Amino acid sequence: MINKKIKKIIDTIFFTEIIRGMALTLKSFFSPAVTIQYPEEKRQPFPGFRGQHAFVRDEATGKEKCIACGLCGAVCPSKCIYIYTKEDPETRKKVIDRYEIELLRCVYCALCVEACPVGAVVLTENYEYSEYTRDALYMTKEKLMDNWDRFMAGEKGREYFKKFWTPGKDSFRAYPGQPVFKRQGAGNKEAGAEGK
Amino acid sequence: MGELEIEPEGKEIKTKEISLSMGPQHPATHGVLRLVLELDGETVVKCTPHVGYLHRGVEKLGENRTYLSALPLTDRLDYISSMSNNVGYVNAVEKLFGIEAPERAKYIRTIMSEMTRISSHIIWLGTHALDIGAMTVFLYSFREREWLLDLFEMTCGARLTASYPRIGGVRNDISQQFLDSLYEFTQQFPGRLDEYETLIDKNRIWLKRTKGIGVISAAEAINWGLTGATLRGSGVNYDVRKAFPYDSYDKVEFDVPLGVHGDVYDRYRCRMEELRQSNRIIKQCIEQLPPGPILSPDAAKFVLPPKEDLFKSMESLIHHFVLMTKGPLTAPPGEIYSASEVPKGELGFYIVSDGTGTPYRMRVRAPSFVHASVLPRLCEGGLIADVIANIGTIDIVLGECDR
Repeated sequence: MINKKIKKIIDTIFFTEIIRGMALTLKSFFSPAVTIQYPEEKRQPFPGFRGQHAFVRDEATGKEKCIACGLCGAVCPSKCIYIYTKEDPETRKKVIDRYEIELLRCVYCALCVEACPVGAVVLTENYEYSEYTRDALYMTKEKLMDNWDRFMAGEKGREYFKKFWTPGKDSFRAYPGQPVFKRQGAGNKEAGAEGK
Repeated sequence: MGELEIEPEGKEIKTKEISLSMGPQHPATHGVLRLVLELDGETVVKCTPHVGYLHRGVEKLGENRTYLSALPLTDRLDYISSMSNNVGYVNAVEKLFGIEAPERAKYIRTIMSEMTRISSHIIWLGTHALDIGAMTVFLYSFREREWLLDLFEMTCGARLTASYPRIGGVRNDISQQFLDSLYEFTQQFPGRLDEYETLIDKNRIWLKRTKGIGVISAAEAINWGLTGATLRGSGVNYDVRKAFPYDSYDKVEFDVPLGVHGDVYDRYRCRMEELRQSNRIIKQCIEQLPPGPILSPDAAKFVLPPKEDLFKSMESLIHHFVLMTKGPLTAPPGEIYSASEVPKGELGFYIVSDGTGTPYRMRVRAPSFVHASVLPRLCEGGLIADVIANIGTIDIVLGECDR
């Protein structure tokens, strides 16, 4: 009881709790920085990041994969996808005429990617999509296909797509190698946010 | 200070009450909240909150979207805990449809909800401490939050607006890297919590600013409809996770921390303790996580059939098109209320279905809205500096309040 009182008096006089806090901040002062100097250093997003859209270019034909079904526009929660179709005079098939996404209204939920039955639209890992004009963020088919060439072309795009191809068969069943907790595997320092 | 009116004799000084508008662009109001304060000197005589600056009509929009398309709207209720809102919404819709998510999906959802609780509580701690004057905690807490946001990004591709759970399960499976990194987090996080507590827990300025401020008794807290840590700080043992367990909360052990005095300091202690309990829940969930499907077989009827089937079976293709354009036409008519414990309190979804693919009515019981209504009760009679502490302690997010 008396000890407690003495301790309290010492704490009051010598600001022990404040000194303890200051010691902690001093310790952090000498520990490595956790911040990234953004414009100079850039952070690589994880696979499956939902950034700016791209329109998939079919490697076989060099044209878009889209079959003009209109599902992406129907499921879009902010109704920002506009699809105009026409009839191809040769094959008499419905093909895409204009495909436009109003990015300023988009909420980047990736439901359009999930809705697409052929995998013709995807969100890329481009997260630097600020512009100075509204027109720059009104994406036409050509701009969207440029995005695909810039960010997703080749093997990378195919790998990237896997995260969006959902629900797959594996969602409805247990599959071998499904991630579960392994006591030995825990503490894998390379994983995720390293070094924090 | 009121305007001074000096009498001709110069003896008596009268003061007048002035009204001061705090916000909507005030850094300490946590969003666009406007408080009209009637001040007598430094004492608050009357406090009137004005809400609605961030109104986007989420409830009305929900009536015009299919059950799946309405999911991203719930991200934007309480934008710093989007994953919990999603879980609350999908649980409500699952209850309406009468389907149940598989065991693995439930565990994943529990993990995600608790990760959200940690990230929301540490942003609360940081900003609350920043408002009161302790800046270092803010910097430290954002360091840990970054880790969690990275984990969200790893799983669903978005850091804030997750849209990860799906009706009948979750969007995609988690990775081994995610599990390992999260387990590492649960090992380190208690140490980080101790750091925050070293900084402010016994700090005399912190104690002076929080103890005995914004006191609300248990009975009053219940009458005002408070939920979450704001209610538990007054010593009322009510937690949706314990009272009406959803997902995997009945399979894990955790305690519900309670306060005694119902002041700002007790609510702060409650939330700090909740952080430890959330950490405990995540750890147990990771250890118990079973292998298995992440989407219920019924989800093929209500949400989406497997993509692989689209070009093999005509039926799947038709299902896919109908579900995407018109929503689940087999939705049973009826009405349900389903509550979940989000970091702010009890988030309830009241959904009326008329058997079409879109909800007939989607009402959101937002804890922040209820908590904003108690602000006058907490602030009146106190000092103007304590208004800031009171706004921080009830932990409101205006996106949810105005919907």
